[in-house]
Amino acid sequence: MVTASISLRGVGRTFGATRALAGVDLDLKPGVTGLLGPNGAGKTTLLRLLATALPPSQGQVSVLGLDPEVPAERTGIRRHLGYQPQETGFPRGFTAFAFVDYIALLKEQSQPAARHAEVRRVLDLVGLGGLGAKRIRAMSGGQRRRVSLAQALLGSPAVLILDEPTTGVDPEQRVTLRAVLAELARTSVVVLSTHQTEDVAALCERVIVLDRGRVRYDGPVTELTGQAAGRVWLADEPDPAASISWRTGTGRYRNVGGRARDDVEHVEPSLEDAYLLLRGGSPEHEPAQEAAS
Amino acid sequence: MTATLTSGPPATSPGRATFTALAIRETRRLVLNPVFLFAVAFITFALWAGPDAGQTEIDTANPYPAIFLGGFGMMATFWLTRSMRASEPVVGVTPVTQPVRTAALCAVAIVPFACGCLAILRFVQLIPVSSPLYGPFSPSARVAVLVGQIVIPALGGPLLGVALGRWVQFPGAAFVLFLLIYGWVSLVTILTMSHASSALVAVLRLFAPFAFFTYTGDTHSAGFAVTAWRGSPWFFIGWQLALCAIAVLVALLRGAEGRVRTRIIRALAIAGAAALILLVLAALGGFTYPLTA
Repeated sequence: MVTASISLRGVGRTFGATRALAGVDLDLKPGVTGLLGPNGAGKTTLLRLLATALPPSQGQVSVLGLDPEVPAERTGIRRHLGYQPQETGFPRGFTAFAFVDYIALLKEQSQPAARHAEVRRVLDLVGLGGLGAKRIRAMSGGQRRRVSLAQALLGSPAVLILDEPTTGVDPEQRVTLRAVLAELARTSVVVLSTHQTEDVAALCERVIVLDRGRVRYDGPVTELTGQAAGRVWLADEPDPAASISWRTGTGRYRNVGGRARDDVEHVEPSLEDAYLLLRGGSPEHEPAQEAAS
Repeated sequence: MTATLTSGPPATSPGRATFTALAIRETRRLVLNPVFLFAVAFITFALWAGPDAGQTEIDTANPYPAIFLGGFGMMATFWLTRSMRASEPVVGVTPVTQPVRTAALCAVAIVPFACGCLAILRFVQLIPVSSPLYGPFSPSARVAVLVGQIVIPALGGPLLGVALGRWVQFPGAAFVLFLLIYGWVSLVTILTMSHASSALVAVLRLFAPFAFFTYTGDTHSAGFAVTAWRGSPWFFIGWQLALCAIAVLVALLRGAEGRVRTRIIRALAIAGAAALILLVLAALGGFTYPLTA
């Protein structure tokens, strides 16, 4: 019986002179954890570390109680790992079924009948059951993304690492994906990185915000959202007191941060509001020395 | 489309079963490769449908298997090896390590090797070993010449393609190497025609994965003669097999770590030393001067 858990202690990663991660301490248990952060915050680097694709420069990583630095233990981790990278290239001429089947074989599922059934199952899960025979090169970006996700779901892994799984995926599929991940997260550690805060709000019980390679926030989604309570309001004009304002579809301005006047219309903050506040209130507030891993 | 996880992971079988299944999968991909299919079709045509019934020398037909099964086979396995490179972020975190995947790719060379075996059988059917076209070699040496010219290149070319695919980024590397080998063999053969007695030239001629051992004079004159060049065809086979071993080991070295890597490097040193010794023996053994019969 595999106990699904991940632990990071003082983990850092550098690429040459660029520091992508520094002093990261995390403990992850079964459930869905969302990873938020600006471009270059170190999200992909962290996910690659968890997926055993990259060794840390400093610190210790433990996945399922195994040390990924030891080759035999790394293989042990990989037997229980599903990983969807940010970008997946596909070999020319492969159909969706053939590609996922090939990965299933590399996941040591060598019994053809059982393997094929498993491939059909994961293709069904991502809504590609009817497109298994279609060449991947002829698929849309969203469909390719789902092929990449399907291979990660093979074998219902104890650790599932997803790097921006919903990019390019239509809303209906995103809702389905949430249901799939929520079910899997009953027994598995699911970590997903995304820029879609609504996905995190809808799915994750825990959120980690990374900024310049460091953990800026680690806790329940509700708690982070609660930090923005009373700091989001609607007004007819952009409020100079707000850190950030934008015109909504109703024609009114949503103001976030700063000090709201008493006569304004306060609204329920979203996770996005809370995230922007945490980041300093400005979406343009990009880190200067980050690694785009 | 369903959003529930309806089954657990299928049973996995690490080790030999996975390797066998993977090797079969890669073999199927090679057999369906257009470059390899063309090579086999051409050889079939050249040896079964097209050869001149009044064949007057062996050297016009025996390079075909080396060029097509070996050279084109090299290009096919190079493509096969590189084809998964785009998917490396996914493939690289599966429990099947890169050396095991490489070994499965090397196993596909059994197909061109088998084609080479069939080609040599057809060749001796067309030109029996007892034919004077083989020159002054003994019957066993004649077989050795054909094995070294037909069977071993058909095995070695595809193995070289795998090694090249593992280490070289340039997509046209296999084609460039094919041209280089072709050019080198042509150059040293021309050199041998004018300096047949030279030991150095014999070494240069045999310092290749393919070598001619005979030269037929004016085939249109009534009393044409076949000259056997310096060198031992038996030791030349040994040299070629050592090159095959080096190609496999170099391919396996990519991604190998720990004790496996140390063993591969040790085996490479042994294979390199053996290759050198066998090359010297091939050049110094056999006829020590050109012999015309």
